[in-house]
Amino acid sequence: MEGLTASEQRELAARMERKQLKEFMTMYSKLVQRCFDDCVNDFTTKSLINREEGCVMRCVDKYLKSSGRLNERFQEQNAAMMQSGSLPGR
Amino acid sequence: MSFLFGGPPKMTSEQKIAAAETEVEMVSDMFNRLTESCTKKCIPTDYREGDLNKGESVCLDRCVSKFFEVNMKVSEKMQGEATASKQSGMGFGM
Repeated sequence: MEGLTASEQRELAARMERKQLKEFMTMYSKLVQRCFDDCVNDFTTKSLINREEGCVMRCVDKYLKSSGRLNERFQEQNAAMMQSGSLPGR
Repeated sequence: MSFLFGGPPKMTSEQKIAAAETEVEMVSDMFNRLTESCTKKCIPTDYREGDLNKGESVCLDRCVSKFFEVNMKVSEKMQGEATASKQSGMGFGM
């Protein structure tokens, strides 16, 4: 971030931290919903059956891996785009 | 009346921070939307394995690349439209 004084940078960092916490909570609840929707469809039992539990574990695992990979590619593309000088992020 | 002579208008501290915040927000919003779309398009919902397989990985990579490309195309097109409508004196008011 260009042209911010040290105290402005500190204020920005504090806001970013709050935003990150919020984003994490959103991500978490979306993940719960996705894995629940995709894995749990049988209501003849009260607790998760083995198959459902395994599915949920794989669902979370896959999500973490794919979001890591997407993040890597995103950083690369974003850096390339900023260098070429077009939208967004300038 | 220093704004008449002071060159470009000076932003207040709050405005500068807000501008920087908006910039970060735009990028993170884009990432969230991309994640949602590419996951939907590339990851089957049966979760037979926890790892990404070859097909899924390649799909995700290409998906990011195409998402950016679409982003560029739309941006170019919109800029073209804005220029065109400015010349003909109507349209978006940009």
